[in-house]
This record gives sequence, structure tokens and C-alpha cells, in this order.
Amino acid sequence: MGLIDHRFSDNFITTNLDQVLNWARQSSLWPMGFGLACCAIEMIATSTSRYDIARFGAEVFRASPRQADLMIVAGTVTKKMAPVLRRLYDQMPEPKWVISMGSCSNAGGPFPTYSVLQGVDKIVPVDVYVSGCPPRPEALLYGLMRLQDKIRKESTVLRRERVIMSGQSEPIMVEDRG
Amino acid sequence: MLFLAKFFRQVFLVDLLKGLLVTLKYTPQPAFTFQYPSERRPVAPRFRGVLRLQVEPETGAQTCIVCDQCAKACPDELINLGGHREPGHKIKVLDYFDFNLSRCSFCGLCAEVCPTKPVKALIMSEDYELGTYSRTAQVLRVDEMYDGLPIHQYDR
Repeated sequence: MGLIDHRFSDNFITTNLDQVLNWARQSSLWPMGFGLACCAIEMIATSTSRYDIARFGAEVFRASPRQADLMIVAGTVTKKMAPVLRRLYDQMPEPKWVISMGSCSNAGGPFPTYSVLQGVDKIVPVDVYVSGCPPRPEALLYGLMRLQDKIRKESTVLRRERVIMSGQSEPIMVEDRG
Repeated sequence: MLFLAKFFRQVFLVDLLKGLLVTLKYTPQPAFTFQYPSERRPVAPRFRGVLRLQVEPETGAQTCIVCDQCAKACPDELINLGGHREPGHKIKVLDYFDFNLSRCSFCGLCAEVCPTKPVKALIMSEDYELGTYSRTAQVLRVDEMYDGLPIHQYDR
């Protein structure tokens, strides 16, 4: 994908190619289960036949980051675990997404202590925050659907860049900067 | 003799057929999978979902009396509310009710101490579909506390 990333202007072929790529990406999100605490049990329950995350094409929980597209951070991220988590995130190939599952990985949860990372978004960019303590399996599926919505609106081959304007905190997409 | 029995079992694939019989028994059963977005499973009666402010069911009037007990009960200090007195009103008028969802562990202590009767102002609702794209969206404002968290559309 590196050859065609953000290189083309807006026309019939590129917009349709974007749609095809987005469809392929959203319907085969292979997660890397990063189960760190009790949220992991709900994440496992989501992959069982009762809830069946395979209906969304996300059933292939990879043990290795090299084959994964999506990292589901489920549980309390301690400061000892944080460098490991960042390293595994770096090992995942692009494109990659992160779901932060549960209060602990969203913001530290009920542990405002010296040993717990206050939100996993301090070390990796999080796409969807799923609240709950732990979230029900349905809530994780809901978060996955929200992520699929997000992927559907991304652009790969169009010449767009994500820039942070001065004075702003959130990045915005800028079309065609030459 | 034992050898012959084993031999015939292997020739006529007895073990295989036994296994397939189990598969066949489960085949006509309806699927166990629960089709989440189209069908919703009812939650348990004691289920604690996201916090929700309630109004009087008939009049739609405010029930919260701004007593600040929920904010004091919260172990993580996630609730921040305030109001003011107005001449026409018996109770304080609620100005803002900020609830920081991101740390909430859904313990229900805030809803437990809510003193208003007969309609409890603060309840744990049955809403569990909570997914946001940013941490700022996880701080629920007063209108979201009344109506529930809206489905955020990703626009960027």
C-alpha cells in the first residue's frame, strides 16, 4: 500500500478503489487480543458462539502482532506492561486500529495510582473507546461496529493528509496540499 | 478375540459413525448465536448500565434536587453538578450535571444514595452501548444524562 498511499487526486477509479479497500478492511479486522484483566473474559465471551464476533469477520484472534489489524486493549495497563504494549503495537503492520475496552484502559479506571497507566491513549492512538466495567460482549460488538463506521470513511489512495493545525488539538483531513 | 473386535471396529468405522451421530444430533437444533445488532437480549433486573437522570413521568419536571449526595458518594469523584435557586421553583434548578464516564466502574453507589421520592432522579439505566471516538465525548453533559448517549457519527 505504500506505493499508492495518498498519491492520487479525486476521480472515479480512486474513489471506488477506496471503497473497495475500506470494505475489505472493515470486514476482516483481525484482532490481537490484549487481555490484561477481567475485560479479557468478556472479550473471550465475544468470540464464543453465543455472541460470535465472526459475524463481523473479526474472529481470528492472533497471538502475534504481525498478522493483526486491530488491537483490543482489554484491561488495566500497568506501567510495567506499557512498553510491551507499545512495542507490540509498533510490530503490527499498517493499517492498524486500536479499541480501548473498559474503564481501566480508557482512563485508568478506579486505579489512580503510581503503577497504573492513566489511559492507554497515553502510549497508543485509540480509535474507539468502549465504556463499561467490564463492557458486555454486546458493547464490544457495538464498539467494533463504530470502528467499522470509522474505517468506511477513511481514504487510502486519495491525496489527503491528516494534519494538526496550529492551535488545534485534534487532527483534520486536508485535501490536496500540492 | 479382543483383536478381532478392534479389527471389525476399524473396518466398519464404528468410532467415526458414533462421532458423526453426535454431529447429526446437533445439526437440526436452531443456532445458538444471538444476532446482536438486530436482536437485543434483555438485561438482568439488577443490571447496572450507564447513569441516567429521570424526570417526573407525567409532567416532565425536574426531579433532581441538586443535593450533591451522588457526587459525594462517588469513589472516583466523577460527578460534578450544580444548580441555583429561582423564585418560582420549590427545588433548586439544575444547571449542569457533568458525568465523566471514562473512569466509571458502574458500582451504583451514586444511584443508591439518591434521595428523591417517589421518582428516583438518578438511576442506573439499562443502556450498555457506549462507544466513543474521543475521550472528551465520554464526559456526559446534562442533556445526555436525560436522553442517553447518542450514537456519534465519525466525521473527519
